[in-house]
Amino acid sequence: MLFFKRGRIPGARSWELKTGLGKGYTKVLEQLDENLKDLDLEVKKVEPQTLSDFKPGPDDREEESRYFVRLKGTLAPKEARLCGWRIDNLAALAASLALVVSKQGRSERKELETVIGNKAGRWRALTLMDTFLRSGYLEEDEEGLIKLGWRTRAELDLPSLMTLLAESKAPSVESSEPVDDDQASMEG
Amino acid sequence: MTEKVSRSSGRRELDELIQTCISIENRRFNPFLLDISEALSIIRRHSNKLRTLEDHLLDMRAITSVARVVGLQSADLRFQSSALYVDPSIVKEKLDSLSREQLAEFLLLSWHPIVELEQLTLASTKEAKEFWEKMLSFFERRKRLHLGPFVMPETTDLGELARMRVVEERAYTRKMQDLWRDLKERAGEDQRVDYWDFIGGSDFAQTVVRAQLVSFLLSYGYANLLRKGNNMFLVPKAKPDPHIEGSRLSFPIPITKEVLVRAK
Repeated sequence: MLFFKRGRIPGARSWELKTGLGKGYTKVLEQLDENLKDLDLEVKKVEPQTLSDFKPGPDDREEESRYFVRLKGTLAPKEARLCGWRIDNLAALAASLALVVSKQGRSERKELETVIGNKAGRWRALTLMDTFLRSGYLEEDEEGLIKLGWRTRAELDLPSLMTLLAESKAPSVESSEPVDDDQASMEG
Repeated sequence: MTEKVSRSSGRRELDELIQTCISIENRRFNPFLLDISEALSIIRRHSNKLRTLEDHLLDMRAITSVARVVGLQSADLRFQSSALYVDPSIVKEKLDSLSREQLAEFLLLSWHPIVELEQLTLASTKEAKEFWEKMLSFFERRKRLHLGPFVMPETTDLGELARMRVVEERAYTRKMQDLWRDLKERAGEDQRVDYWDFIGGSDFAQTVVRAQLVSFLLSYGYANLLRKGNNMFLVPKAKPDPHIEGSRLSFPIPITKEVLVRAK
């Protein structure tokens, strides 16, 4: 149930697991988590989104939590490349997530496209935004603002990303120049 | 009169206040840019001038907008005290100064991708079968959408599709061969036709289409282009002689309305 993708989003909801495994499903998941450690994998629980920025959701939404199996460790750049990720796509995703987080989880699409455009080129910024929205890293709300998507909540350790960013120092000048569109095709 | 002026200025002030609140909600401004006590004093100042239903609704919208901004201020304070807080302007500066490689590295250090497999399983197949069997018929589902009377699909033919411009009436090669035949006929004994005379169609679009087809006739060896002074002639070949390696010479011919008028 956790590994196989059924529908658009992978993983399984609490109620699905409860139906399949019974009331003690959390114990089964704990055991599974223990067994997956050897494979450098873990079971991750993602809470349903709170209803609004400043109001926590009701307590009885436990049934809506979703469980995923994800990598416990992290990927090396070479491994990420093997998964089909390019360096500039990863950089663009990091930039957009950091900006959305810094703006308390919501940002204007245009602003994000400008920031990604500086890293990956103007035209690629438009397609990358669509890709991130489609894959669930970002979501667009009813007012057209961009917020963090379900995949970000499942896959990203945001405090770590923000700490790394806050502690970072800029490299030498030549490698931090904004790129033109034709430069952006650099393979990761 | 004075009361009317004061009411309209009051409405304007409330409108402006609501707009400011909306901008804050859309993350255009920091929520602390709005002075809540000042906003409340504006609302209070106009509260005794509310006469119509619209006035009361405006007042209500202003109060709820200010309440939402207070909520955002509270969320902002909570966020600032969390581990995720980095000032947006600092984040922007950092993002501008860091290289793509650095940013990608930060993401990789914080990224734990989900394991997901796409495969048919017995359970998912059973689920799909059940879904399919329980699914209402197309007509039942259509009824729920209230789309009005159903028009049965009809057959169409190539002629109609061509009129709708969905398909080309004739294949491109066929068009080229028709044009080649036309060229040979018009060349007659002279064995040549003036280029501009030949490509000229009933209108400008038609002329451009013919010119494009002629360019393919030349590229594929169905005809030659001969230049004599300022004139250009098309010389058809009895048999096509395709240049397997492609034409060695590329000769662009601009087609403008002025040129066509001059050719006539």
